[in-house]
Amino acid sequence: MSPTRRTVLGLGSGAVAAALLSGWPARAQETVTIAMKGSPRGESAWFEPNAIAVPVGARVRFVNEDAGNSHTATAYHPDVFGRARRIPSAAVPWDSGFLLPGESFEVVLSAPGVYDYYCIPHEMHGMVGRIVVGAPGDPGWEGEQAAKGDLPVAAQAGLVPVDEIVAAGPEANR
Amino acid sequence: MIGKIAPIALVVGMLAAPVWAHDEGPLLQAPPPEPYVKVSDVLPLPEFIPGLGTLYVDPATLPAGPFLSYDHEGKLSATVYMTPIEDLENGVSFDDLGVGSHTVTSVDIYYNAGHPGVESPHAHVVLHHDEDAKARLAE
Ligand SMILES: [Cu+2]
Repeated sequence: MSPTRRTVLGLGSGAVAAALLSGWPARAQETVTIAMKGSPRGESAWFEPNAIAVPVGARVRFVNEDAGNSHTATAYHPDVFGRARRIPSAAVPWDSGFLLPGESFEVVLSAPGVYDYYCIPHEMHGMVGRIVVGAPGDPGWEGEQAAKGDLPVAAQAGLVPVDEIVAAGPEANR
Repeated sequence: MIGKIAPIALVVGMLAAPVWAHDEGPLLQAPPPEPYVKVSDVLPLPEFIPGLGTLYVDPATLPAGPFLSYDHEGKLSATVYMTPIEDLENGVSFDDLGVGSHTVTSVDIYYNAGHPGVESPHAHVVLHHDEDAKARLAE
């Protein structure tokens, strides 16, 4: 089993200009790890951290650290299972596919704004995450997408408010 | 009309039950015969799931199962059922389910948030077939 499955370069239109303005590519070397976790018998499942702020161009690595279950990291986007878009319009949507224990998936986030994503088998349980890339005021910044009311109750409740994530600062683990 | 349907249902039930009552021998050692399939062959799940072992299921019986649970030596250790909470709330019942073995030493019931195959939150009902089964399935 290969430890790294796939890498997606999420370069959107306008991303290069935004990246230059915010100091990328120097910052693009940064890799942030988000673990997929579960309780031993699967009563609960979550992303850890489930909310994080990262610099523009950061590489985010999702790792399944749950020995007993499979998880996905899947962007809310019409191109991926027809969901309402909850990532910046310039961002490339991603779907890790099912990651078995120990497997990982990487994505580079180059469009500033708010990215919401979920785990396919655990969305109803509330296994969702939010990544804030850059900060409000960055060129091309797109904040939280207006709620479309299409999220399961537990998923909506699991999304940490953007201002809290911004206030905590880049890569403050939650 | 009702008088005609009821006896048919009764007969079907009687035919189904003896299969389980007399046919458990082939199930005691992995792999069980068709139509059982190894869950990890058809779904993105580990081959051995801590707590549940190596699972086989007849796809026609999803989501409830029975799922047959084998230890690392291929010995039938538990029979597992998975019943979506929403179905239960909506009045769906799961009746007359088969068992892998008639020897049951203990039963665990717990909530599961979902996994490939049964993606909605559901209950796991685990029938252990011997005293040591739980320990062998643990990891
Ligand atoms: Cu998950």
